[in-house]
Amino acid sequence: MSASFLEVNDVRKAYGAIRAVDGVSFAVGPGDIVGVIGPNGSGKTTLFNSILGQIEPTSGHVAFCGEDVTGMSPLELSRRGVGRTFQTLQVFGQLSVRDNLIVAAQEFQGSLGARLFARPDAGLGQAADQMIELFRLQHVAGLPAGRLSYGQQKLIDIAMAFMPRPRLVLLDEPCAGVNPSLVDQLRELLVTLNREQGGSFVVIEHNMDFIMRLCPHVICMVEGKVLARGAPADVQSNRQVLAAYLGN
Amino acid sequence: MSEFVQLIVSGIATGSIYALAALGFTLLWQAAGVINFAQGEFVMLPAFGMLICVSFGMPLWLAFLVTCAVAMLVLGWGFKVAIVDPLIRHGVIPLVIATLGLSIAAKSTVRAGYSALAFPFASPFPEGQFALAGVTLSYADVGTLVLAGGIVVALQAFLNRTVTGRAMQAVAQNADAARVLGIDVKRMVLYVFLINAVLAVVTALLVTPTYLAKFDMGDAIGQKAFFAAIIGGFNQTRGALLGGVLIGVLENLVGFYVSPEYKEGVALVLFLFVILFKPEGLLGRSEERKV
Repeated sequence: MSASFLEVNDVRKAYGAIRAVDGVSFAVGPGDIVGVIGPNGSGKTTLFNSILGQIEPTSGHVAFCGEDVTGMSPLELSRRGVGRTFQTLQVFGQLSVRDNLIVAAQEFQGSLGARLFARPDAGLGQAADQMIELFRLQHVAGLPAGRLSYGQQKLIDIAMAFMPRPRLVLLDEPCAGVNPSLVDQLRELLVTLNREQGGSFVVIEHNMDFIMRLCPHVICMVEGKVLARGAPADVQSNRQVLAAYLGN
Repeated sequence: MSEFVQLIVSGIATGSIYALAALGFTLLWQAAGVINFAQGEFVMLPAFGMLICVSFGMPLWLAFLVTCAVAMLVLGWGFKVAIVDPLIRHGVIPLVIATLGLSIAAKSTVRAGYSALAFPFASPFPEGQFALAGVTLSYADVGTLVLAGGIVVALQAFLNRTVTGRAMQAVAQNADAARVLGIDVKRMVLYVFLINAVLAVVTALLVTPTYLAKFDMGDAIGQKAFFAAIIGGFNQTRGALLGGVLIGVLENLVGFYVSPEYKEGVALVLFLFVILFKPEGLLGRSEERKV
């Protein structure tokens, strides 16, 4: 990996006696795609929440572009160029697909007065249309997002995370509940966005084929700890990783 | 026939006043999860505020603007900071109890400090009537309809056609996602409280010439606004409009064709029917919640 850009240093999160995240450290460089795998309950989402300020880590530090951002709110992190998607859908069901994309980026535009009197599309209409085209959502662009299929809403959810052109995106199970025919499309989209926007991604995913083909670097977490890290093939063939997934 | 049209127009005018207060209910619920049972008193207090300003020699329009500014500060920002923010994390019930307490405190304070009498309040519209296509209409009804309708249209345009309005909708639909997308949720929620305060002042301006300024004038308006919001759908702003107008029109028709004594029961009967047969409201949508 190149010079680090996100640095997660010995992050721990405990709930009473349960150590959900137990001393995790890793670094992500500009343009990197890092995969995080691990069985259910291994602390992956808690790690994401700790990085993004949605929960405060018990100890440890998170730095982004050299700045200590430990415990910083999602709002502040978002304004520094860090985005995320959730395991569950987080689209705004009553807004149209196009408005969902616009609302995802509009708060980055201008002052209060400018926002109150700005054009209805906040000058983001063209960018939203490009994203709609990239995600092949033209035929549903004007429909309320809540009326679309789960897979389509998942695509909107991911497209929204990229609308503000973030420097780092944390994707939490982007393939969960997505039709297998959309999984390849999703992988291609992420590769395109990585190439075109130059952003870095950290991806939690249970779909091993997806992770192995998308991420040049993979971390495997078990019981809150990093069990293995390295190239996808190395992690996949690691005996401890296999034991964690399949049992002894 | 002309009588019927006159009743409908007058009913829509009265209903649009209920709708303004009901809009406040739905906006606060959607954006902040707050049910404000002091909403009626939020109308009563500005009525007295405007009376005080007028007693200092201010014209009504200036009294209205000054009261708007004070209401935004006290009923908007102050209400949010002093009551909602400390209690919201404990759930809906403590807030319901607090707003009921606020309602009693506001009424008692005004009765003790001002008197229990009803005070006349100047109408912002000229007195008298005019005929249009054989139908006699009052300037007050038409003026109320135009002002309330204009505010509702402007509010809808603000919510749907501006960047800030869309962000407020996003916060109402999913505050967690909005926060991650960089929307300042606290600021958007504050805007809703400020808008609610202004809606309360406009409602006071329109309703007080009829109800007169009295410490308990908020009881009826608050109750009807609450029913209107439930009837139309608590989670839809246009539901509040429909509920308000429906109550206003039916009250007028029942009062004229059946008996004025039944007029006050219309909102309650309509409310009971909706709760029994369409609890999400006429335009509301069912909500799923994780348990």
